[in-house]
Amino acid sequence: MKGIFVKLKHLAPSAAILAVGALTLSACGGTSATGEDTSGGDSDLQGTLTGIGASSQKAAMDAWTADFTSENSGVTVNYSPDGSGAGREQFLAGNAQFAGSDAHLDDDEVEAGKEACGADGAYEFPVYISPIAVTFNVEGVDELNLSPDTIAKIFKGEITNWNDDAIKADNPDAELPDLKITAVHRADDSGTTENFAEYLKATAEKTWDAEVDGNFPKDFGGEAAQGTDGVIQTVSDTDGAIGYADASAVGDLGTAKVKVGEEFVELSPEAATKVVDASEKVEGRGEGDLAFDLARDTTESGAYPIVLVSYHLVCSSYKDQETVDMVKAWEKFVVSEEGQKSAADSAGSAPLSDDLRSQIETVIDSIKVEG
Amino acid sequence: MLTSSNNTITKSRKLTSKQLPKATPWIVAVASILVAILISFIAFGGFNIPVVAVLAGLINLVAVFVLSASYEGRRKATDRVATTLVTSTFILACVPLVSLLWLTISKGGAAISGDLLSRTMLGMKGVLDQQYVAGEASLAGGFYHAIVGTVLITLAACIISIPIGVLTAIYLVEYAQKNRLGKAITFLVDVMTGIPSIVAGLFAFALFSTLANVLMPGSAGIAKTGFTAAVALSVLMIPIVVRNTEEILRLVPMDLREASYALGVPKWKTIVKIVLPTSVSGILSGVTIAIARVIGETAPIMVTAGFAKALNWNLFSGWMSTLPTFIYDSQLRPVSPGSAALASSERAWAAALVLVALVMLLNLLARIIAKVLAPKAGR
Repeated sequence: MKGIFVKLKHLAPSAAILAVGALTLSACGGTSATGEDTSGGDSDLQGTLTGIGASSQKAAMDAWTADFTSENSGVTVNYSPDGSGAGREQFLAGNAQFAGSDAHLDDDEVEAGKEACGADGAYEFPVYISPIAVTFNVEGVDELNLSPDTIAKIFKGEITNWNDDAIKADNPDAELPDLKITAVHRADDSGTTENFAEYLKATAEKTWDAEVDGNFPKDFGGEAAQGTDGVIQTVSDTDGAIGYADASAVGDLGTAKVKVGEEFVELSPEAATKVVDASEKVEGRGEGDLAFDLARDTTESGAYPIVLVSYHLVCSSYKDQETVDMVKAWEKFVVSEEGQKSAADSAGSAPLSDDLRSQIETVIDSIKVEG
Repeated sequence: MLTSSNNTITKSRKLTSKQLPKATPWIVAVASILVAILISFIAFGGFNIPVVAVLAGLINLVAVFVLSASYEGRRKATDRVATTLVTSTFILACVPLVSLLWLTISKGGAAISGDLLSRTMLGMKGVLDQQYVAGEASLAGGFYHAIVGTVLITLAACIISIPIGVLTAIYLVEYAQKNRLGKAITFLVDVMTGIPSIVAGLFAFALFSTLANVLMPGSAGIAKTGFTAAVALSVLMIPIVVRNTEEILRLVPMDLREASYALGVPKWKTIVKIVLPTSVSGILSGVTIAIARVIGETAPIMVTAGFAKALNWNLFSGWMSTLPTFIYDSQLRPVSPGSAALASSERAWAAALVLVALVMLLNLLARIIAKVLAPKAGR
């Protein structure tokens, strides 16, 4: 044993060097993403907020936490993008202070919310509206009008050529080439696919006879691509391709105008916001429950109906005043003009309308301490 | 005596059969590759790496056999074919390793910088990445918090699992003598080796969230800490440490123990002063293998420690990031989706490089320790 100690003594210098090295590294370690000191802010909120939920909100959440913590340096906001279902479940089990979800609570979950959050149950409100673009790459065609039924037929594989009569009928002025259509869809399970399918199911039910699901229906054929980037890449590389993807990722590619009522609506943040304003609230819910039945088949002028709407779920009451203050400050920031603009810049989402914002703010104001 | 017999062989050349020159296998190999490239160009209209590799291997095998059989005879030819086959398989096994290292070093090396190493993701948002991709700013963000998290969690896992693992192994080798308990432990350790890592993560999280819920109802969320992750990693680490240490302890000659007993040394002292010092280098390399195995785990950390964006030195409170979860998160869910996702990808590659370097450094360290502590032979 003595021998070992003697040998360990030989190791001591190198161990010391390692330790010193580690300390130096830790000493020069900055604390923020830009290397600037972030310990500013004039609020005295202290604590940790934990959220679990939809990965669709992740980019927006990054932007919100970055801006929120720069103003409230005492607060740490954690968000684990485990998925909408996991988020709702963990939130209702009391493991997170808030949740992000691409779908609103169903009736059973509303009941569970009363158990987790007190008599008024859980509050939910939309915070993230992300338009989904129908993007195409056809040489010589810059503008494209498509009716829901045509889109459904293209992605189902029933329309296979760009000079098909159905497309011509929507685009009387365009010169459509004799070119094979390559319909590109997501290979992976995704909220984008689910919302796109939901739109087609609502507007072209006869053609789109598949179940609405995060996975693209296998029988419909077409080209599969991995992730949003994969879809965009495939569409850009293939002449005659058409695909659907989050609007923020489209870049220079053309985006189709979609038929709503009697007109064709171009994709824009304002148009995406409009469809939420035109939607009805889910019936039979409490005052703090701003869940919407999205009016995919709206005829509202200027509304763009292919959108992904993601909610935040919070409790109507929390155990202590500090948590209430933190949740209020956080959610108010998320829906504020500043917060929505930050998400729009970073994640390409569409900001909430002023009308909806004031409704949400009323809900947030009514969060209180339990008891 | 050896030299003289060698001399006789060289003198009486007639006794040896004809032999191909030493460099022949290499010349044949190069020629096969060239022929394979030629065929690839003719048949497939271009340089196709997998086709060339497979063709070159086959041509080489046939050429070596034919050449050797015609000159040296059948027996020698069979031997040469076996040698060629073994060497080719070795090269084949090296391909994924080399290509992985090359990809990590080239992609990670291009992205890595001191800023990335010393910054965290606190305050990171998509706009910063968009500015970087547009060339208006340098790459923001970093993974200092993930390096700290990796080191702390792995260290904590070591502190938990090395004593348990080594002592279990000592019990199995020195005390159990194949009794029922010993057999049961060996069986359980074997079962533990097969546990998928995500299950270990779920086990640790379930354990601590239940505990938190009992102590303070409604607070299961606080169970996500670095320590929970360390416990999850220990579940994966302990069986490996036990297995490796057991093998090494069994290698210690019985004579040493018997000599010690003969001098009247008690059992515990024999273990501490004779058995352990003799096998310490082997135990340490076993431990290093176990560390290298768990340091790259992603799934159990995601479940138990979450995805932290800021630096956290406290193992017992708050979320933590490690390099694997950082890589996973950056690659799968970029800070800025769309064209600026490239920036997240660059950070992920740089983190991958650091992780690989960390594992290599650990291996190197274990080698050095093993060498310094190894008992001197020939005494």
